[in-house]
Amino acid sequence: MSAQERKVVRVRGKDDQGRRLTSKVFEEEVRGAAAAADELILESFGQHNIGLRLGTEEHPLTIRVQGPAGQRLGCMGQPGATIICENAASDDVGYLNVGADVIVRGNATNGVCNAMAGGRVMIGGSIGARGLTMTKWNPEYARPEMWVLGSVGDTFAEFNCGGVGIVCGVEAKNPDNVLGYRPCVGMVGGKIYFRGKTDDSYSRTNAKLTQPDDEEWQWLLDRLPEFLEAIGRPELLETLSERGQWNLLSAITPQERALMFSGPMPMAEFSRRVWSQGFGGGDPLRDLAPGLDRSVIGVIESGEFRRRKPFWANRNSAAPCTYYCPMHIPTIDRLRMIREGRTDEAYEMLLRYTPFPASVCGTICPNLCIQNCSRKKVDYSIDVQVLGRAVHTAEPPKAQPSIGKKVAIIGGGPAGMATAWHLALNGVEAHIFERDNQLGGKLAQTIPWERLSKAVWEMEIARFMKEDNITVHFGESMTKDRVEELKKEFDFVVIGVGTHQPKIIPFPGHERVIPALDYLKAAKSNSPMKTGKQVVIIGAGNVGCDVAAEAYRLGADQVTLVDIQKPLAFGKERDAAEALGATFKWPVMTKEVTEEGLITDSGELIPAQTVIISIGDVPSLPFLPDSVEVVKVAGGSWIKTDESGRTTDPKIFAVGDVERPGLATNALGAGKRTGEYLAAVLKGEEWKPFSKKLIKYEALTIAHYDPAEEKGDTENHQAARCLSCGACRDCHLCETICPTHAISRREIVAEDPDGVNYEYVSDDNKCIACGFCADTCPCGIWTMQPF
Amino acid sequence: MDSVRSVYTTPSSLTYCDLPWIIQHREDRCTLCGRCTAVCPVNAIYLTYRRQRVPKLDVLKKKRGNEYRHFVGIRQHTSIAKKCIGCGMCSSVCPNEAIGPVPNTNEHRTVFHQNQKGEAWKRGGRRNKSGATILDRIAFDRISMLTDPALDAGRHEFSLNTILGRVLPPEEFLRRKSAGEWIPPTREIFPFIIGSMSFGALSPNMWLGLLQGVAYCNEVLGIPVVMATGEGGCPPWVLKSPFLKYIILQIASGYFGWDEIIRAIPEMQCDPAAIEIKYGQGAKPGDGGLLMWFKVSKLIARLRGVPEGVDLPSPPVHQTLYSIEESVMKMIQTLSMAFGFRVPVYPKISGSTSSKAVLNNLVRNPYAGGLLIDGIDGGTGAAYNVSMDATGHPIASNLRECYLDLVAQGRQNEIPLFAAGGIGKNGNVTQNGMALIMLGASGVHMGKYIMQACAGCLGNEKGRCNVCNIGICPKGITSQNPKLYRRLDPDDVAQRVADVFMAIRTEMKKIMAPLGRSQSLPIGMSDALGIDDADVADRLNIKYIC
Repeated sequence: MSAQERKVVRVRGKDDQGRRLTSKVFEEEVRGAAAAADELILESFGQHNIGLRLGTEEHPLTIRVQGPAGQRLGCMGQPGATIICENAASDDVGYLNVGADVIVRGNATNGVCNAMAGGRVMIGGSIGARGLTMTKWNPEYARPEMWVLGSVGDTFAEFNCGGVGIVCGVEAKNPDNVLGYRPCVGMVGGKIYFRGKTDDSYSRTNAKLTQPDDEEWQWLLDRLPEFLEAIGRPELLETLSERGQWNLLSAITPQERALMFSGPMPMAEFSRRVWSQGFGGGDPLRDLAPGLDRSVIGVIESGEFRRRKPFWANRNSAAPCTYYCPMHIPTIDRLRMIREGRTDEAYEMLLRYTPFPASVCGTICPNLCIQNCSRKKVDYSIDVQVLGRAVHTAEPPKAQPSIGKKVAIIGGGPAGMATAWHLALNGVEAHIFERDNQLGGKLAQTIPWERLSKAVWEMEIARFMKEDNITVHFGESMTKDRVEELKKEFDFVVIGVGTHQPKIIPFPGHERVIPALDYLKAAKSNSPMKTGKQVVIIGAGNVGCDVAAEAYRLGADQVTLVDIQKPLAFGKERDAAEALGATFKWPVMTKEVTEEGLITDSGELIPAQTVIISIGDVPSLPFLPDSVEVVKVAGGSWIKTDESGRTTDPKIFAVGDVERPGLATNALGAGKRTGEYLAAVLKGEEWKPFSKKLIKYEALTIAHYDPAEEKGDTENHQAARCLSCGACRDCHLCETICPTHAISRREIVAEDPDGVNYEYVSDDNKCIACGFCADTCPCGIWTMQPF
Repeated sequence: MDSVRSVYTTPSSLTYCDLPWIIQHREDRCTLCGRCTAVCPVNAIYLTYRRQRVPKLDVLKKKRGNEYRHFVGIRQHTSIAKKCIGCGMCSSVCPNEAIGPVPNTNEHRTVFHQNQKGEAWKRGGRRNKSGATILDRIAFDRISMLTDPALDAGRHEFSLNTILGRVLPPEEFLRRKSAGEWIPPTREIFPFIIGSMSFGALSPNMWLGLLQGVAYCNEVLGIPVVMATGEGGCPPWVLKSPFLKYIILQIASGYFGWDEIIRAIPEMQCDPAAIEIKYGQGAKPGDGGLLMWFKVSKLIARLRGVPEGVDLPSPPVHQTLYSIEESVMKMIQTLSMAFGFRVPVYPKISGSTSSKAVLNNLVRNPYAGGLLIDGIDGGTGAAYNVSMDATGHPIASNLRECYLDLVAQGRQNEIPLFAAGGIGKNGNVTQNGMALIMLGASGVHMGKYIMQACAGCLGNEKGRCNVCNIGICPKGITSQNPKLYRRLDPDDVAQRVADVFMAIRTEMKKIMAPLGRSQSLPIGMSDALGIDDADVADRLNIKYIC
């Protein structure tokens, strides 16, 4: 298109009266003129939005603005438009420009290129704040460009999203800081070429500072002449072509920014370079706790980092049967031997604890052992009477050969016999001095044969007499002098004379009353006492029940037991008495006893031809040396003993009811205790009394066992049901459940013939202390201890 | 004689459904790996074997009998001593999502039995008062959009720091400056402060991890965070390190660890950030502290200057101080002098109706560098439940009263108030802190939030865990047992400290920008606060909004 053909139209910004046209009217005139013009010369007078919607690529339009320009010059400029402002321009030059070239020969104020998406803005001076803000670049089109000859104001290129800025730093308004304060905040795209000093306050998280590479430099060189031509300063080309003076700020990519936010310095590096250097290059606790290892461990650890540790505490605790038995007979071991088919060994072991398994354990004992049997939580307690009775034919265990020591035992009742039994088994000669002409004390003298089978009893007495190292002297009444002789003759003297002096209450007519002890002794003899049809028994305990049973046997029709309190009788004795028809009355205080019977304090008569009193017996100790102290309690004198049975006379011991009244099994327990103690002393060995703790029921896992419908009537039935509390039954469950395979079983040499020849061990390097072994073990062997 | 299957019950017999946390175990998923029972800090769970009776009745053949089915599972103990604490470590180690505690939504009866053998219930942790706090409900309602300069949190630069120490009135400052007189020391610090947690209450890895994170914030991120030591001394190498300047040393009624601090003074490279004199604590006002003997390891004994394995009591009061005036004069002056009057010294008290009396004494004391008030929602390593739950004063109105009292005297810019007690207890740490700042605090101290955010403390406001007092912290935060505290990597803690403070910094800007504030912390800017509760609004002298 030649110059001659160009149609130039001039539009004035004032009306004929010299008044300013509004932006709206001016725009209408400019638009009308542009429809038929190639070039417009605008004598503007501060009108806004000049250049909006004018020109196309098909019909390019040049607009020369010669008057003062208003705001938003080149606003929404179209491709094909060239807007040249001869002087300075106001705010927001190139606002939302999409393609026009906007040339300002002078300075421009704030907001140049705000939200510009295309075209070029070329400023021949400097610009104000917030230039190049919100600039966009649509990849379908060319990048928007902003050229500034001088400097830019503060907060430049905020949120720039693709625009290219070129700040030449020539004749800058602010030569000390050509990019203004804090440029590039929020900038996500585009580049800024600049030349000159800055305050280095650009946003580090948005832009990075480099020098233009070859391609970038070439880009600048290619376009620089056109900019300089546009603003009329071609002479600066050489000045601006020195590559070393140019720098480039380019947007940081999101990926790069993510890396920056992961920490300006990795913590490990800080720890090494700064942190430990602050302590002279070491751990800050090295002086307080030398060698302290604080390195990281996991939450599940083995070895020394566990807080608990399993222990295979086999046989450390006692089963309830063993614990509660006064003789501490290990019934669980016996049942284990039966399970293992070692029945004879089991009998022998039992006899090493008691001479009377059949008579006491199997018959008259209330069996403290099984009262606490754990098995009853599953179904029924182990029936220990089945076990006891099974032993009565067994031979006595072999005693150790005599060691040449001897002990005198005064009294051939259960306590004295047990003492003798344990002394004899240990090779000490035991000499029993019995006043009567038979052994067994009250067991033999007072318990009705209905309750204690004569055959069984005699079998056990015979077995007792067969034991080596035992000598019995019958018909030996004791005196103080005789005791002194025995003390000289024997290494020790043991008193086990029991209680053979009945207690009496001195109410009127008490002389008519027969002591139960006398009645029972007579009943078992060949000359029982005459018994009336109506019998009253004062004292309704178990002995009273035995009396009642004997009274019925000897002719009574009606037996009444009276007591001042609720009767203490229980178990087989009471059942037997009640089965025979005995009745119980309480509370009854006896006022007197007459020929008619017993008169209560309320005046009631209980008719009786025979009145028997059964309120207990006390020791009869006329022979007791003065060196032996007694305690007076409950109407009697009882010998004071220590934990071995030793009295205040070091050569004299006491066992059984003379210490305190108890069951036959308590007397046997006391005899075992003192017998073993004396044997240990005489052999110069250490006395090892029973000291195991009772296993806690919670330690067992009883859910492994299914309830049986019946408790069974053979030893094998009992053996099968035993829970083996506290004694490993070698079931391998621990080995099976251990999740880390830490537990294994290994053979060991047993300490004694009946000892355990295996053990389970847990490998510390595998165990994580889950406690499954302890939670699984049926017998309560595995325990978890703090560690 | 006992009946064969007697089941005994005692007043304290409980069942699993009486406990605060019920273990749910899925046998169909369990692989019996043993990890849950290995990790449980209180041995609350165990492997159990169960037997189930299955009756077999064959009616046609007239046969009958029982069979038994056996199965295993993980169950919980029901004794008070072994009750599940809900920490959830079991779930965290379970490979199959087979186990975990769920809160008992019914009433739970352990509260009636936490006093076995006459021992009143003691625990660690927090007040366990769940739900939104007053602070959570405060809204920043004055938004400048087209009215004030619009600020952009992401773009503008903000001055977020606060001043710790006595600020003189301008004329007095100028007079002293020109006369060359002493000017009280001040520190420019980040207004969110890691509150007092002692080396002893915290494990070595936790305490050092926190300090490392604080150092990172200062030296790498440029956030001037400080942390308070609590009473329990400070390792000598730390005292002699350049990191001492980020530490507020505490002196309290037990005076533990001060022998080492005094010995280290000549070798210090820098001054500590401040000295905090502890008179009270929000979690257990009027009650002392006790570091139980089992926490007094060799290391702790050495650090605190005491024999190993003894109980370390901090009495409820300072033994030889009998009045506010005496306390303030003696201790503030002595501790100021110890560091050449170059270090701000301020007291910490529990929130109380007497806070204003203390404050007014401090106003008259030329050496007092501030006042820290700790409200009832503060946490602690160990306290009686009744102290923690029911003793104390909420921080919001207490702080507000004190601030308005200073305003009435025209001294609000002179003596900074710091607030603590439940900041961030529901996670809204920046919002809570900024609400207090705008109610008049110059800064806030945070403890529980830091433990939760930086070390994974499992405690929550529903009674979860709460066993800080017995040294079995499953995360290793409050234990002196290396088997536990070595679970905690100090570098991880430090990294989380950095994360937390970077985020608080951002959130502060997000709160301040809409207010149109960027150049100073909006201390006391209560015209920008509103709350949807007229009574609270009235009490705090802020707007009621709805």
